[in-house]
Amino acid sequence: MSKIVVTGIGIISPIGNSVAENHAALQAGACGLTSLELFPTRYATLLKFGEIKTTNEDFKKQLGVTAKGVTRTTLLALHAFQQAIEDSGLTGEELQSADTALINGTTIGGMSESENLYLDANQNEVGSEYISSYNLGTVNMYIQQRYKIGGVVNTFNTACSSSANAIAYGARLIQNGFAKRAIVSGTDSLAKFTINGFNSLGILSSTLCKPFDADRSGLNLGEGAAFLVLEKEEDAKGKKIYAEVAGWANTNDAFHPSSLSDNGDGPYLAMQEALRVANLQPEQIGFINAHGTATENNDEKEGIGMKRLFETVPAFASTKSNIGHTLGAAGAIEAVYCILNLMHQEVYQNLRFEKPIEATGLTPVTGHTKIKLEHVMSNSFGFGGNCSSLIFSKA
Amino acid sequence: MFYIHQSSCISHQPTFNDVDLEDLKPSENNLIHAIEPKYENVPLGQLRRMGRALRMGVGTCMKLLGTHNVNGLLIGTANGGIEDSIMFLNQIHDYEEGRLTPTAFVQSTYNAIAGMVGMITVNHGYNATHVHRALAFENVVLDAAMLLKENLDNSYLIGGVDEISVKNHRLVTLAGWYRKEPVSNFDLYKGDAAGTLSGEGAAMFIVSNKSEGATAKLKNLKMVNSNDEKFVQEQLSLFVKENPGKIDLFLQGENGDNRLLKYYTTCESLMSGETTVARFKHAFGEFQTVTALALWLSANVLQTQKIAQHFIKKNSATEFNRILIYNNYQGMQHSFMLVERV
Repeated sequence: MSKIVVTGIGIISPIGNSVAENHAALQAGACGLTSLELFPTRYATLLKFGEIKTTNEDFKKQLGVTAKGVTRTTLLALHAFQQAIEDSGLTGEELQSADTALINGTTIGGMSESENLYLDANQNEVGSEYISSYNLGTVNMYIQQRYKIGGVVNTFNTACSSSANAIAYGARLIQNGFAKRAIVSGTDSLAKFTINGFNSLGILSSTLCKPFDADRSGLNLGEGAAFLVLEKEEDAKGKKIYAEVAGWANTNDAFHPSSLSDNGDGPYLAMQEALRVANLQPEQIGFINAHGTATENNDEKEGIGMKRLFETVPAFASTKSNIGHTLGAAGAIEAVYCILNLMHQEVYQNLRFEKPIEATGLTPVTGHTKIKLEHVMSNSFGFGGNCSSLIFSKA
Repeated sequence: MFYIHQSSCISHQPTFNDVDLEDLKPSENNLIHAIEPKYENVPLGQLRRMGRALRMGVGTCMKLLGTHNVNGLLIGTANGGIEDSIMFLNQIHDYEEGRLTPTAFVQSTYNAIAGMVGMITVNHGYNATHVHRALAFENVVLDAAMLLKENLDNSYLIGGVDEISVKNHRLVTLAGWYRKEPVSNFDLYKGDAAGTLSGEGAAMFIVSNKSEGATAKLKNLKMVNSNDEKFVQEQLSLFVKENPGKIDLFLQGENGDNRLLKYYTTCESLMSGETTVARFKHAFGEFQTVTALALWLSANVLQTQKIAQHFIKKNSATEFNRILIYNNYQGMQHSFMLVERV
């Protein structure tokens, strides 16, 4: 099997509009969690959010979007898409080629326009400009049409592991000969729908989240997007190679619609299967970018899953302490962070950690540290029992 | 690509228990609603809380998984539990973002069907939900084909499901895709009007690399994103060349919308005089994952070697060995699937 490598990356998150800005913020231990400023909700100041402080109008100007019905989720994606294809040096011809795939993962899609959806679904006699945008396919429909992407186009939804699976799908399309290159991504924007949804489950924190801490009090929602360009190693000659996508797995916890099983079966199986695909032993993993949402349930069960698989749990941290939980974007954003780990041979601080969870006794990375890394793992788990792990290896 | 074994289907026609496609069931009020059966193998407590898409999806899956398990689940759905989504959104409004119950939120997530089936059957394997509108089921097919190349001995449950919901119907109507004037599904292809009839349903299949006991073989698949009918025709022409052999049945997704007819006539013109041409949306209605039902119908035709008269547009072949399905949704997403007799 050919190695699948990353030749371009793009990102926008609450801690930066580019890869360089995100890198600097992670090194500095910056936190992008604040009150909400850009749209009204009862929870704007009651909870903390990872909000990107750029308005949709400004994004449209910056990105040259003139079409109607383009929602924030698509705007965030477009921002990161443009960075990634420029970074990889993909030409217009390559984008339009029948062997260029475009795979996105998202959970909110066009439903970020919650107010307009409410009006269109209940009251409007004439549809709003977003009338055909309220689904998850809307992001890649727009990008495909704007750039005339010629190959397989898809949108994945496995809740909060959506973009981890989008990355795996892209890698598999290349390995199985259905694409020569794959532009894979995740994107989600903050929305009344998800804020109230997660709030109804009682898992949102009113304070800054504390992943893996014994006194954690829930998650902060965030928004963002990240794109990766995947190619075969032999097709990427002369290009900058960021990392190898070495392993992936998609398993199911098969326990409960919205919480993980006591033994962390789904997480355990996902990490184990990703190691099998990468042909690696547990002790070869130098760092785990954990799912680490800071909910009562996740952090304990994820820790239990890690302890089952790893004799000595490797260094791990949750970057959700910096940007919140970006849902469908999390897998792709954290993939870019794993690539930064490998490129710079360093790990970043899991912010605000004080005291280990009693059931696991695990302590995440508590400071910015230089460390020798060959292979790093990224976990993403979601509702519906969907558990995914990815492994990235040093280029 | 792979072999199709057991299948199950819920539609507006009797397709779930005693399959009978001879007499077309009429549409009502411009809707082609699925007839929901009595569901088995689904815990009643869970069934009661499920929305329509979830019930149909889980119900068709559980008909196949009642007796044996598979290595993974792959579901295509464009809208998931959209009625639950909008119900939850309305609650957000009505209670001014007060304390809400999470049921509608959790069930509205697109991956709820695959998640629920995974939970009921304790399936820890691959679990995917593809949601790319009218290519959601096609990506399920492609994903399954890759899984079966990677894991030769495995079997997977694949399928597609979408619901008509009051709210979603309203949205698509506002967007101008449904007929404004009353029309019966018996007359769907007559006249010259914009819009179609909305439909819903679910079709699930167990697929593997084993030919023994299979009902059909899915030979190949191609997806096209374009609004240019000439380009779509070229792509179909290439697809036919890459998969040489006589096509006995061209099963196409004409839906009575005069804006979309050009795609079907252009593609149909590539078929020889020996090919029977048939349509299916008068029976199932228009929705994004209806190609799962078209695949179910194809497997049924290949097995029974007959197709009811109401499906036929142009009669020719008397024996069905190879079926080419062509569908397009709103003039942008197109797919070709080639299905063969085993």
